Amino acid sequence: MSNFVIGYYAALIAASCLAAYYQNRKVFMLLFSLTLVSFVLGIIGGVPALRGVTIFAGLLALAAGTSYAFREFLIQISKPGIAKELRTAPLTASFGMFVIFTYAIAGIFAPWIAPYGESEVIAQTFAPPDENLLLGADQLGRDIFSRIIYGARNSVGLALVATLLAFIMGALGGLLAAVKGGWFDQLMGRVADVIMSVPSLIFALLMLSIFGTSLIVIVIVVAVIYSPRVFRLTRAVAGNIVVMDYIEAAKLRGEGDWYLIRKEILPNSTAPLVAEFGLEFCFVFLLIAGLSFLGLGIQPPTADWGSMVRENATLISFGDITPLIPAAAIALLTVAVNFVVDWMLFRSSGLKEQ
Amino acid sequence: MGDLAGLIAKRLGLGLVTLLVVSVLIFFAVELLPGDIAQAVLGQGATEETVAAMREQLGLDRPAPVRYFEWLAGAVTGDFGTSLVSGERVSSAIGTRFINTLFLAAYAAVIAVPISILLGIVVALLRNSLFDRVANVMTLTSISSPEFFLGYILILYLAVKTGMFPALANLRADMTFVELLHRTFLPALTLVLVVTAHMMRMTRAAIINLLASPYIEMARLKGTPPWKVIVRHALPNAWAPIINVVALNLAYLITGVVLVEVVFVYPGIGQLLVDAVAKRDFPIVQACCLIFAATFILLNLTADVGAILTNPRLRHPK
Repeated sequence: MSNFVIGYYAALIAASCLAAYYQNRKVFMLLFSLTLVSFVLGIIGGVPALRGVTIFAGLLALAAGTSYAFREFLIQISKPGIAKELRTAPLTASFGMFVIFTYAIAGIFAPWIAPYGESEVIAQTFAPPDENLLLGADQLGRDIFSRIIYGARNSVGLALVATLLAFIMGALGGLLAAVKGGWFDQLMGRVADVIMSVPSLIFALLMLSIFGTSLIVIVIVVAVIYSPRVFRLTRAVAGNIVVMDYIEAAKLRGEGDWYLIRKEILPNSTAPLVAEFGLEFCFVFLLIAGLSFLGLGIQPPTADWGSMVRENATLISFGDITPLIPAAAIALLTVAVNFVVDWMLFRSSGLKEQ
Repeated sequence: MGDLAGLIAKRLGLGLVTLLVVSVLIFFAVELLPGDIAQAVLGQGATEETVAAMREQLGLDRPAPVRYFEWLAGAVTGDFGTSLVSGERVSSAIGTRFINTLFLAAYAAVIAVPISILLGIVVALLRNSLFDRVANVMTLTSISSPEFFLGYILILYLAVKTGMFPALANLRADMTFVELLHRTFLPALTLVLVVTAHMMRMTRAAIINLLASPYIEMARLKGTPPWKVIVRHALPNAWAPIINVVALNLAYLITGVVLVEVVFVYPGIGQLLVDAVAKRDFPIVQACCLIFAATFILLNLTADVGAILTNPRLRHPK
């Protein structure tokens, strides 16, 4: 029995006893069941398994601590009204905000953070990591770390632009359809049906095979594919608002469609629309990452997470995890946005499951 | 029951119309090419004569609507023309690959459907417990990860480091069924992970929605034991949402399969489509898109028909 194992069990049992003494039932059950599970794990996996559990718990504690501190930080710097809202945020949501904040910093200040340029060849092919190259070099001898930093700008930036375009198209269509009604509403609804009846990746591949893979084409194609989702939501939300008395009053005053949309409908439908923007961003981001991974999205030598995975995939067969880092970066951002959206949906709908 | 048949027939007709519109979209999208197919394929350097010869060969001199109906008539009988790059019949290139793709999707579905429905129900019953929270975070992570991320993680840990499964899913004709299952396990598992997460979340939402209805409350108040509330009162009403969830997620598998096939070099039509897009081989792109779209529409149709069949309220609209 090594010192590590003795320390491991001593810490767990001491913590369980403390929890029991302070009558914290949940924490006690969690810690003590972890102790029991550890016996089994220790027998099957030996010391490495226990080390794995320790590292995992440490990472979880680190993430929770960071989220807690970041939430306090946000509460301190924001105005009283917003601070009150922020206090209700669960740790997952503040973790999400922290991740988004980090990515934003990395993307905006990429040229200052990255030690090398995004397409600068500085080493040999697949050079191993050393103190100058944090993560080693890729298949052309470029610094992988710098390319990941630049990827935050290129991949996320492109997805943001496409989402914005999809959102503007979908929301405008939805609002106009709700206000105008009649044949315009019907026509827009049928167009949305047709676009949504083709799987998004397949539709994107068809369009890219025809128009080629320039950035403008990708943005427009992706925006067209995802705008029907926004259209339907906006149409539904606005449809509920249009039948209200105050809209009737505004119409009788002789206000135009544009005034109705801007002053009456939009202010009353921001909450679901903001949440939808987050969800939409996740879909768009994953679709563009998928296209880049297939070699049909953002083209080299621009640094992009999807294509980086594809270019360095051969390293995986040597048991190297470097090619997975850009993929993990994609996953982490999507998870983060989802956490924040979850909280916003919960807050805006006031839906509380018992 | 004639009412019911009419309702389903109406829904089937609507599906057929959608499919027709989509086929028009797929065919005429290619007509939007700057210039035409011959110019796009041969590129800038081609002489007038070669372009004219290719136009002749493809029959591009005839009007587009005529060619559309010929293409559609061919597609219905399984004839999609010839590949522009290899000159091979498109139908023979697709044939076995389509069966391979269906096999992979079915393999994933057989594992994913029972597990995810069971877990979804368990999570719904234990809602807001620690187990539910952990499951929520895990499924959210799984949904948010790109398919190629999950695929490569599985390759790294189950193939490269431990060697339990082969990393590449290339198939041979003389494999036994067990060998086939072993060889395609990793791509199937990747799909299972993604689809299970989706299905679990949707099942959970459907069941929670159901458990909030007044007749469940009534059953509880009159003292029915909890298991009986589930089996007698909740489950018969849960079939409609569950069938819907299953069909929608099978439709989702269709998109996921493309990326997974590329990661594992699996010989399915997803990979064929990606290759054809890169080479701008339009007959193959059109054929694959039509097949994917048709499957997608069919599964969505199944979801709707299933909902109509299991929900008496939809059968008798007010």
